[in-house]
Amino acid sequence: MDDSTILETRDLNLWYGPKQALLNISIRVPKNTVTALIGPSGCGKSTLLRCFNRMNDLIDSARITGQILFEGDDIYADRTDVYTIREKIGMVFQKPNPFPKSIYENVAYGPRIHGERHKEMLDDIVETSLRRAALWDEVKDRLHEPALALSGGQQQRLCIARSLAVEPRVILMDEPCSALDPIATAKIEDLIIRLARDYTVIIVTHNMQQAARASEYTGFMYMGRLVEFDRTQQIFEDPAEELTENYITGRFG
Amino acid sequence: MKKEEAAAVQSGYPGWSGHFRREPEVPFARRGRHLTDLIVGKLLFIVALLAILIVFFIIGFLLRDGYQIVLEIGLWNFLAGMDWNPAGPTPSFGILPLIVGTLLVTALAMAIAVPLSMATAIYIAEIAGPRTKEVIKPAVELLAGIPSVVYGFFGLILLTEWIRILFDRPSGSSWLAGSILLAIMAIPTITSVAEDALSSVPREFREGSLALGATRWQTIRRVVVPGALSGITAAVILGMGRAIGETMAVLMVTGNAAIIPEPITNVFSPVRTLTGTLGIEMGEVAFGSMHYHALFGVAVVLLVITLAVNGLARFIIHRIQMTPARSRASGAFMQSVHNLIPVSLPRQAKRRVIHPRTTQRFAFLLISLGVVIVLAALGVILLEIIVNGAGAISLEFLTAPPSNLGREGGIFPAIVGTLYLVAGALAVALPIGIATAIYLIEYTADTRLTRGIRAAVDLLNGTPSIVFGLFGFAFLVLFLNFGVSLIAGQITLGLMILPTIIRTTEESLRSIPKSLREGSYALGASKWQTIWRVVLPPALPGIITGAILSIGRAAGETAPIMFTAVVFSSRYLPSSLSEPVMALPYHLFILTTSVPGADNQKFGTALVLLMMVLSIYLVAILVRRRYNRATVM
Ligand SMILES: Nc1ncnc2c1ncn2[C@@H]1O[C@H](COP(=O)(O)OP(=O)(O)OP(=O)(O)O)[C@@H](O)[C@H]1O
Ligand SMILES: [Mg+2]
Repeated sequence: MDDSTILETRDLNLWYGPKQALLNISIRVPKNTVTALIGPSGCGKSTLLRCFNRMNDLIDSARITGQILFEGDDIYADRTDVYTIREKIGMVFQKPNPFPKSIYENVAYGPRIHGERHKEMLDDIVETSLRRAALWDEVKDRLHEPALALSGGQQQRLCIARSLAVEPRVILMDEPCSALDPIATAKIEDLIIRLARDYTVIIVTHNMQQAARASEYTGFMYMGRLVEFDRTQQIFEDPAEELTENYITGRFG
Repeated sequence: MKKEEAAAVQSGYPGWSGHFRREPEVPFARRGRHLTDLIVGKLLFIVALLAILIVFFIIGFLLRDGYQIVLEIGLWNFLAGMDWNPAGPTPSFGILPLIVGTLLVTALAMAIAVPLSMATAIYIAEIAGPRTKEVIKPAVELLAGIPSVVYGFFGLILLTEWIRILFDRPSGSSWLAGSILLAIMAIPTITSVAEDALSSVPREFREGSLALGATRWQTIRRVVVPGALSGITAAVILGMGRAIGETMAVLMVTGNAAIIPEPITNVFSPVRTLTGTLGIEMGEVAFGSMHYHALFGVAVVLLVITLAVNGLARFIIHRIQMTPARSRASGAFMQSVHNLIPVSLPRQAKRRVIHPRTTQRFAFLLISLGVVIVLAALGVILLEIIVNGAGAISLEFLTAPPSNLGREGGIFPAIVGTLYLVAGALAVALPIGIATAIYLIEYTADTRLTRGIRAAVDLLNGTPSIVFGLFGFAFLVLFLNFGVSLIAGQITLGLMILPTIIRTTEESLRSIPKSLREGSYALGASKWQTIWRVVLPPALPGIITGAILSIGRAAGETAPIMFTAVVFSSRYLPSSLSEPVMALPYHLFILTTSVPGADNQKFGTALVLLMMVLSIYLVAILVRRRYNRATVM
């Protein structure tokens, strides 16, 4: 692979109680690209994504073996600080989940909890983050209104702005458009493509067009395994595995 | 091809240059947040543990003092003895008449309360329009807010009089009077729990039934009520628990003769309940005597009964939560579809003698009648007290101390005493309660420990208030030698409201969606940061509502304070925590039961107490309503 790797898993296995959800996943995610994860429902995409910033720590039954390296450091190592990992590897969820606070406070939340107190600095961060999330023009006159009053698409961009505000290196997105209409979806896709200049984006999607349009790399997962991982063009035009081909062409249950 | 597109979009991209960044850090180094998390977690754990310890301690203490009587006279003689005569020349301690009295009063109360509550619950959940609902629901909740001593006052002054005249008896103090009062008091509990259960039956099933041509009443009867049956059962049992544990109101109207009615169906016979016995006799018993131990034995029996009743309710509610609403209701739904199908066949319809619409009209009429009775009860009680009490209220009444055994002067020290008691109770219960709830919801999964704590909280919640009073008396007043004092009352009341505060806090924390917590964690927030900044702020209105409801409850309670904190008459305000105080509920109790000819003062005191408590409840209702509106979006 020509790009340098930012995230890597080695023989990653994950169990929810007795049930194994991930089997021997080894993947190298290239830096400053968009990587898409596709696969049928229940194949473990969300589970894998949540491993990258240790959100699975919050699930009591989850147990893992194997390694996950972020820029060469094992994120599950004993001396690792899970909060710092999540600061560097942000996440955007399927359903927009803004806090019941103002727009401003939503974006300022991250910098605040990481110790930023200066008003001008926060103002600056809020504006820059909202601009990067292509939301600034729509909300600049009502920063102090409740975030819950925004539309679904705006809320999702706010959530993206919120995670940009802590300056992550990687942004994980789990079906970020599935609750949105086509116009809002198009906006977020644009945004994802632009973000890839400065960030690494990993996106889970059920939408083949979206994967094809927005990503440079695609991984296809099936029943807890990573079946194939390659350049998106390769995956969509000439996949190595028959399983992948069947899925992409829709010849699949 | 994607690359070009991406580049094109990027060129017009605003704000890209203005980079902000704090200094680079050592990757993944631990920071102070872990320590904060650890310390806060440990602290909360210790406080939560305290909740369990308190419960064990209370039970242990009661058992310690109650076990003596079993040693002295034997378990059988105690439980099955026919004669309760602790003060006679040859004292006897058989509590069978008391147990029978408790069961009879409760059973008749349930027979009155259940149909009325069901009518009200069905009316609110299924029939009333949104407007009517907004009136009736708070009205029923107001019934829950009236202090039991005010019920007792109403019962003694009016209800027993009506019974005496109406049925031409020498005295109206009777089983019947007790049951009527208890029924009124149990109605709000049963109604609100049953209404919740009815409302949680999924809408599709109603529509499914209506779409088959069923009338609304058929739908209610065959789909909604069966679907909510276990919730309704739990509601009834909870109401029963409330009735069994009630002290003051019952004590004031049942006549308190420790006899088994003759014949057993004679509802005009006086009876005496377990709680009434404690309320009457605990105040004048000699410490350490047989009688003293017998009373603790009574408290243990009472605790066991309420425990069993509440345990049953808990079990049923637990089972409901285990089976998802959908499958529960769908079972009932399928069955009812089966029942309904003939309705849509014309041949069958012709065979019917009574048209379903007629049945519906009749059913709705009965239901409305039930609602009217409930509202009338509320109206009569409020009106009586307001009309008769208003004349007594004056500036002097509110600001002067009482004189001539409360027949003259005012109730100022009682108002202040009540405020002191409530403030102290909150100071005890709020920190412990909120910390315990946070621990339970945020810090632990469903472990044996949390289940233990929850069971303990439930147990505490079902404990009759007179039992708290007894514990406070035995442990705080006597054992710790606090004497009858403000602080003893504050702690006793605090223990009493602790479960309410834990529960309401738990509920509002639970209502904060998991996605908000995840959103915060995904930004690298620590556990405590997440709780403090994301979870607690939106949960606050719910927590405040719980606290306000507890204030109302604490302000109106008599049983927990009457042996621990109050004196009947005092010209002065307490100057320290170790002095006794006057309190409104107790003042009303003594005026009503022991001071003849203070009518004006009685009604005035009742009115002040009622207004104080009801306005507290009203605030709670308003806070909750505003909060509900605010979170609809
Ligand atoms: N918290 C959990 N506890 C137990 N099992 C879980 C949990 N979360 C997911 N699973 C199981 O793990 C498997 C993978 O789930 P996951 O959510 O990762 O799938 P997914 O690929 O994201 O599916 P979808 O496309 O529907 O979102 C599924 O079989 C699911 O049932
Ligand atoms: Mg998923």
